[in-house]
Amino acid sequence: MKKFLILSALCIFLVSAAFGQGTIKIGGTWPLADVTGEQGSKAAQLAVEEINKAGGVLGRKLELIVIDDELKADKGVAAIEKLVTVDKVDFLMGGMGSGVALGQVPTMKKYQKIVISTGAASYKVEEALGKDADWYFHLHPWDYEQGASYLQGWNDIRKKYPAVKIDRMFLAYEEGAFGKASYDSSKVMFGKDYNFDGASFKSAALGGGDYSAMIEAAKAFKPDIFIWAGYDADALPMLEAAKAMKFNPPLFVGAPPGWPKDFGKSPLADNVMLYGMWAPSINDVNPVSLKFYNGFVAKYKAEPATYFAPLSYSAVYVLANALQKAGKAAFKADGSVDNAVVIKALEETKYLSALGETITFSPSNIIKHQGIRNQKILQWQNGRQEVIWPFEVQTKTPVYPFPAWK
Amino acid sequence: MKRATSYILPVALVALGVLFPLFFGPYPQTVARTIFKYMALALTWDMLFRSGQVSFGIAGFFGLGTYAAALLALKAGFSYPLAILAGALISGIFAYILGFLVLRLRGTYFSITTLALAEIFRVILRNWTSFSGGPEGIVLPQIIFNGDSRCLYWIGLAVLLVVVVVSQYFEKSKLHFSLISIRDNEVSAQTSGVNIFRTLLVVFTVTSFLQGLIGAVDVVSVGYAMPDSAFDSNYTLLPLAMALLGGQHSTWGPIIGSVLLGVASEYLKLKIPYGHLLVYGVIIILVILFMPEGLIGLFRKKKGAKRG
Repeated sequence: MKKFLILSALCIFLVSAAFGQGTIKIGGTWPLADVTGEQGSKAAQLAVEEINKAGGVLGRKLELIVIDDELKADKGVAAIEKLVTVDKVDFLMGGMGSGVALGQVPTMKKYQKIVISTGAASYKVEEALGKDADWYFHLHPWDYEQGASYLQGWNDIRKKYPAVKIDRMFLAYEEGAFGKASYDSSKVMFGKDYNFDGASFKSAALGGGDYSAMIEAAKAFKPDIFIWAGYDADALPMLEAAKAMKFNPPLFVGAPPGWPKDFGKSPLADNVMLYGMWAPSINDVNPVSLKFYNGFVAKYKAEPATYFAPLSYSAVYVLANALQKAGKAAFKADGSVDNAVVIKALEETKYLSALGETITFSPSNIIKHQGIRNQKILQWQNGRQEVIWPFEVQTKTPVYPFPAWK
Repeated sequence: MKRATSYILPVALVALGVLFPLFFGPYPQTVARTIFKYMALALTWDMLFRSGQVSFGIAGFFGLGTYAAALLALKAGFSYPLAILAGALISGIFAYILGFLVLRLRGTYFSITTLALAEIFRVILRNWTSFSGGPEGIVLPQIIFNGDSRCLYWIGLAVLLVVVVVSQYFEKSKLHFSLISIRDNEVSAQTSGVNIFRTLLVVFTVTSFLQGLIGAVDVVSVGYAMPDSAFDSNYTLLPLAMALLGGQHSTWGPIIGSVLLGVASEYLKLKIPYGHLLVYGVIIILVILFMPEGLIGLFRKKKGAKRG
């Protein structure tokens, strides 16, 4: 009996060691208590499982090790240190908050692992990275790129739908880094072409939730388009306040990173427009999105509520495809990653993603490898987020103007 | 003889602390550095609490030190060591001036006033964009010691040791008796010749100086400062929970509490990635509910019961 136990233990050890040696390790950090990080990491895990089921990459399985960055820089740094020095990962992935990324950048520079970043929109992160960080592949658009894409989007919508009139723009922004950055970049971007104004509010997510002063300012401005940049917790209370104060702009747009899970079920949600990278309606026009959506719902019994899910899913595929393209040369004889080879393969990325667009990498203002540059303009219609712009992936025409409150 | 043996444990712990990076890699060093930071903050909170004053101003002075050091290094070209010292001094001086106003207050009034500090600093720095970089903060060109994890660990440990020494001085000097008498009964303290205002002002200034020092070292170790992270309420609440868990009114209490909660936080995160914060929160609530005097209090009670 004793011999049998020892032999069994030995077998288990040998099998696990053999499998362990063969895996390509990806270390992911996301804020797991936040819906963006929770669903982003789960979607990345889904991609890893799909790829492994299809035979893996270069005959090896992928392994994703996820650590919560808790949206804190020190925790984010510790996570990178653990992933690199203890778990010995081959690649790094993930991220959401710019503050965490700013803390992680020096550690990432120290190890120079290839990073597929899914978050960090602030241009400060790009400044901190510098032009030599060729190992950093940034999928999420920078804040200034998002602003430029909105400008292009509204201009395109005005051209296609002449009834849509946009001269006066009001941006309500939560007073933290996210909101203020949105306001600053929008002011620069839209200030030239539009009569632009704005006011801040304290987000309900951060202990606020009184929007009356801001809505009063917006009402007095009489905007053609009202945009708010806050968090999911602001979505419904702000609409309640707008209804109570009879604030009825022709275009009512929200720009939070994620929406409350059942927001679409609220009657207040109908015809609210929003910025985002993905919506389930993209399933109608994009088979990769449909595959991702079905896989996610089947595995986690919940609908993806944030674009960070398909974005992180895409991040794994981008890396896997590049490794496949690089072939055995991706790894040196000692098993370490040949950065030059993998970077070259990543630079040649052309991946039709679940987000409805083909991901390629090209230089942004500072870094060499910027992926997605556009956000999309969407609209809640009958409980669903429909794509209004870009027109190539449009799923519905816009409802305009925003109907009066009943 | 007894006095000599009482030094053995602290000296051994310091030696272990100093030698730690020679045996453990960058990850344990980074975790330890975070624990040191919260431990030092917990001690500074407890030092003032020994007088009975509950301050919620930790995040305010920590953030002030953070920003002062970062701005002086970036805009005035201060070297990092000088910026660290200046950051701490600015926090201390500010606390000294503020002390004349807030140390007349007691109980809830004092606590709420100190609670508002972080918010006031945060609002100012958020909106003074041209000076502070606004909500997106400021990025330093490089981090101290070029990010060498051992050196970052040792500087974190050095700051902690400074705080421990000051805490021990408070505990062993006659200041200790002044603080206890203020906590027990201010009228009798005054009639016994304790200058209450001056005592509190000294402690408030020194602890704020130390909080600023911790913040200043932190910013040159991470390389950036943002109002939302520098004045994060976690810098107030976590040290408080750590001090309460370990036991109040002592140096050992916050040290034990910080090690336990710091290690538990990291361990839970790795074991329960999607629910660790919930478990961590429940632990803190349970500890505060069932062990209001902390582990040291429990130990003292048991020791007292045995003697009794």
